[in-house]
Amino acid sequence: MKKRSLSSTLIIIVVIVYLLIPLFATAIYSLFAKWTDLLPENFTVQNYVELLTEKDFMMSLGRTIIICIIPIFLTVLLVLLALFAVTIYFPKLEKYVQLICMIPYTIQGVILSVSIISLYAASPGVLGNRLVMLTGAYCIIILPYIYQGIRNSMHAVNMPMLLEAAEMLGASKLYAFFRVIVPNIISGITVSSLLAVGIIFGDYVLIRNIAGTSFKNVQIYLFLTMKSSSTKASAVFVIIMITTFLITLLVLYLKSRETKHRNQKVKG
Amino acid sequence: MTRTRKNYIYLLVLLPFLVVALLYEIVPLLMIVFNSFMPENAIGFTLEHYVDIFTKPLYQKAIWNSIRISLVSSLIGIFIAFLGAKAANSAGPKMQNAFLTVLNMTSNFAGVPLAFAYMILLGNSGVMIEFGKVYGIDALANFDLYTGTGLTMIYVYFQIPLSTLLLIPAFEGIRKEWMEASTLFGAGPTTFWTQIGVPVLLPSILGTISVLFANALAAYATAYALLMNNYALLPINISGMFVGDVTQRKEMGGALSVVMMLLMVAAIFINNYIAKKNRKVGR
Repeated sequence: MKKRSLSSTLIIIVVIVYLLIPLFATAIYSLFAKWTDLLPENFTVQNYVELLTEKDFMMSLGRTIIICIIPIFLTVLLVLLALFAVTIYFPKLEKYVQLICMIPYTIQGVILSVSIISLYAASPGVLGNRLVMLTGAYCIIILPYIYQGIRNSMHAVNMPMLLEAAEMLGASKLYAFFRVIVPNIISGITVSSLLAVGIIFGDYVLIRNIAGTSFKNVQIYLFLTMKSSSTKASAVFVIIMITTFLITLLVLYLKSRETKHRNQKVKG
Repeated sequence: MTRTRKNYIYLLVLLPFLVVALLYEIVPLLMIVFNSFMPENAIGFTLEHYVDIFTKPLYQKAIWNSIRISLVSSLIGIFIAFLGAKAANSAGPKMQNAFLTVLNMTSNFAGVPLAFAYMILLGNSGVMIEFGKVYGIDALANFDLYTGTGLTMIYVYFQIPLSTLLLIPAFEGIRKEWMEASTLFGAGPTTFWTQIGVPVLLPSILGTISVLFANALAAYATAYALLMNNYALLPINISGMFVGDVTQRKEMGGALSVVMMLLMVAAIFINNYIAKKNRKVGR
């Protein structure tokens, strides 16, 4: 038995090392001026100083944050309203809503982006606006994650009973929904929103195909910099990866807290 | 009567969702399928784009490259995931936690950043290539990342966290008692895994392979960051038909998109079919 767990530990360590090598190598690369022998030479933070004082980079960071927030806010609102209407008034429609929400999961970025631009690129007005197209595309691509997160937490809180109770106390259903149900499932909404942030933050294909370089987010910025300077790009890389990891850690933390919370409730 | 009329007002609540879904999901997807049957710059019905896809070497190469790279990276990925998930299942809780954290962290590591990290390591003047030159390791010094093999290698990387995370829960279904019972009958660990373990896990393994295949097939950013438009691959060819300096070729691009969607659906169906057949044999 001892031997078995030793070999397991060994396999796990090998996989962990394999997965971490590209990350650490690039991080080290960003901190040294020269790396041609076994060990890198001339430690420097110059890359980071340059990057963080560059207007172009800060702008791309700002754009990324904006283009994360708007579609997520919209999608959460749309899905909340849709699930409210469907679970309370039109249970028969639920499977169609589910189908619409799960399709993007199988088609993914490339096909979605080309279908949207081929349809709207030439159209005048709001629909032809690249940023509107991009926002629409992001809403669709995060739909499966938001939908599942919200639906699962709605099932967990026994929504019909809570609504009935609120109604008996004189609240309207819609009011009760937003004042009673939504606060109860806010942690589920937060987790799925954070997952969506991760997806939009890591997206390259949608933004490249729909907006091109006219709306430079950090991914496009990284792509353009790595063609010109690999040291500068490695600093961009580190900033992107740290942000991604922080988002993942936050998701893991919130999820574990929720499980603990639920277990306590069951015990109590 | 008043109640039903009142209920219809709540359709208005559903309306925003339907509008966005129609505008940015349903109509665009229907149109792209519809376009694929239209002659270029004209109105009518034609199958010529599909004929082109299955007769012209350019498109065949893209399809073949896509299938090959997706399949090879999925198979290598699932093999490593199997070992990893098996190890995670029998390792101590601390090791397991560390492993899960690293897997979760790296599961978002894909696309442009991943391709870039590999270029730093193994690109033209990459860190490891330089090591190879300095220490005379020819295999390393002459490694070319900018090929199908290099691309497959990067794909394998992003398949590992995803597939291991998908497989770990399945291993919890393998009970310790089964292992003990089979040991009592004189079976070694190899016999146990080939005769009992893998057959029990097969549905999860096949399901994971189809997720991996679809994941690799749709991957665009990684391939584009590494090889730009210099490599025939379905997602790259499709994007090329719509974006860039040339005029859009909606119809041909539509047909290629339909082929890509069919490949994904086919992967799911083949897996379901094998899983079903296997279940029958098992009985």
